[in-house]
Amino acid sequence: MSDTTASSATPNRLNRIADWGIYALFIAVVLGLPMLMDDVFWLNRIAKYLVYGMLGIAIALSWGYAGILNLGQGLFFGLGAYMTAMSLKLMSSTSLQQGSDKPVPDFMLWNAEPGAMTDLCCINKGSFLWIPFQHQWFGLAMAIVLPLIVAFILSSSIFRLRVSGVYVAIITLALVLLVRLLIIDAQPVTNGFNGLTDLGWLTIGGFEFDPYMVQTYYVVAGSLCLVLLLARWLVSTRAGLILQSTRDDPTRARYLGYDVAAFQVFFFTVSAGIAGFAGMLYVVAAEFASPSFMDITFSISMVVWAAVGGRNSLIGACLGAILINTIEATVSETEVFKEAWKLIIGLIFVLVVLYMPRGLAGLARDLTGWLGQRRRGADPMPKAAE
Amino acid sequence: MAVALSIDGLTVDFGGFRAVDDFTTVVEDGELRVILGPNGAGKTTLMDLISGKTASTGGHVHLYGTEITNRPEHIIARHGVGRKFQIPSVFRDLTVRQNLEVAASGEPGVFRNLRLHMVAQDRERIDRVIELTNLGPVLGTIAGELSHGQMQWLELGMLITQQAKVVLLDEPTAGMTQAETFKTAEIINALKGSHTILVVEHDMAFVREIAERISVMHMGRLLAEGPMAQIEADPAVREAYLGSGGIH
Ligand SMILES: Nc1ncnc2c1ncn2[C@@H]1O[C@H](COP(=O)(O)OP(=O)(O)OP(=O)(O)O)[C@@H](O)[C@H]1O
Ligand SMILES: [Mg+2]
Repeated sequence: MSDTTASSATPNRLNRIADWGIYALFIAVVLGLPMLMDDVFWLNRIAKYLVYGMLGIAIALSWGYAGILNLGQGLFFGLGAYMTAMSLKLMSSTSLQQGSDKPVPDFMLWNAEPGAMTDLCCINKGSFLWIPFQHQWFGLAMAIVLPLIVAFILSSSIFRLRVSGVYVAIITLALVLLVRLLIIDAQPVTNGFNGLTDLGWLTIGGFEFDPYMVQTYYVVAGSLCLVLLLARWLVSTRAGLILQSTRDDPTRARYLGYDVAAFQVFFFTVSAGIAGFAGMLYVVAAEFASPSFMDITFSISMVVWAAVGGRNSLIGACLGAILINTIEATVSETEVFKEAWKLIIGLIFVLVVLYMPRGLAGLARDLTGWLGQRRRGADPMPKAAE
Repeated sequence: MAVALSIDGLTVDFGGFRAVDDFTTVVEDGELRVILGPNGAGKTTLMDLISGKTASTGGHVHLYGTEITNRPEHIIARHGVGRKFQIPSVFRDLTVRQNLEVAASGEPGVFRNLRLHMVAQDRERIDRVIELTNLGPVLGTIAGELSHGQMQWLELGMLITQQAKVVLLDEPTAGMTQAETFKTAEIINALKGSHTILVVEHDMAFVREIAERISVMHMGRLLAEGPMAQIEADPAVREAYLGSGGIH
């Protein structure tokens, strides 16, 4: 009997070593990339894909580990992006050129009523909302805090009511659409469809992070690695295991004494915070925020990346997002391939959902398991009885 | 002896139909109580009421003197009620060991569980349960791949790991082979004394194996209560069972 326990521990240990190996390799490649590639244009592109990788982690956390399919993750990404962009907009030279010593977004001036005071307090009805964003750190903090607050309120209400499965997907989808409409509608404050453009650069301790500088790449890459490790730690804790149990059978978890909703709310909210952080980094690298961040197609794309990479694996979903976007960028240089690529991704998604629910990460795991078994097969030890 | 579970006038009214109707009984600490009754008598519903799955419309449930009537399920569980379902209910995507680990955490909330390792006490408890339930060889197996019997034992093992003081078992041997049933009786007998147990069971051979006191339910009501011999001789019980072929 002890033989069986011992031999069943071997593939486990092999898996764990393979796991940490992949994490280490990933971090090394992501942080080492600028040494291999000095094209800042490409580095900036990759930085954006790393941001998508962070979104993959957020999706894996809520969908893979908590079993909550959030089809509105773009809401939190968008909130993070807008909060950051508001601060960076006020730091932009376009907000200062208007003969005023206090910054006012250019689009507000263009649309101002004749004779209106050109000050954030009262240039239009909603402009006062911008006042605290004159401090860059306020915008950066809100990029994470606002998604956390919204996600907490939203998830507390839906999970306390024991809403689950497809209903959560519908509610989150509806919500992201609603907020997108609100943002477009609040044109005087948000610049509507056009979003926030001509932004200033993130400035820390006097250092300006030009998006086309390797330092900016390191900010994004370092953040991604931190988030990956943090998420990995979270799912490895007791709480992470209990969360997975609530995904498998919420009733059983309740009868073991767990407040299931509390676990769902916590991880849903963390996932939203990660998405908000991703939104912040995206704005730093891409220099704009737009209502298109809250398009349904974008939120659904995130789910596709995670599904293909493997939603039950943080690093799988992260790699899925990065690889799909990198390949897409490479092939979509030609118009024909661009269309074909959408088809291919659609097809891969369907195949993965039908035949490979654990995605590419699951495939890799099966492969290491199979290799381990082959090695054990060569072992002269007799097979333990079942 | 201390009273573990006291049920007083418990009633649930499903729009005019009373699935459990003014049910009263007292279960002592360490007792093993079997609940018998024909199909649809309200046995499962009674367990639903005790464990908080269904809200009662009348009556009270006290657990070691604390009122637990209609509290949320996880609170009742934290007070010490463990429940095994008629359909085996384990975490199918987790390994057997992970299932037991989830059951072992003494902390109900999120933040106290934000740590990587189990406390030694919990680990020891898991080891004892593994021994009792013979799950050692399958610890690394995904629970969804277990045999029917192993799944039932895992669920039982989780209740013990959870340190439930009062254990509610709904047909723990349903669908089991004779050998599996025997093993289950062994586990339940091992729990006697340290746990208070309520078992719903149809298999009379199994009931004879484990029973001390029996409560018979019929149409939501308590029909008779007492030791096996007395129940078998009770004319009202014979009457109630006539429709469904008697006690086998
Ligand atoms: N939520 C509900 N609404 C309406 N009727 C219900 C509900 N739950 C149970 N019942 C009814 O209550 C009665 C008792 O059901 P219960 O499942 O408790 O019986 P049981 O004694 O466990 O039977 P069995 O031996 O078949 O498991 C049945 O007639 C059932 O249809
Ligand atoms: Mg029943």
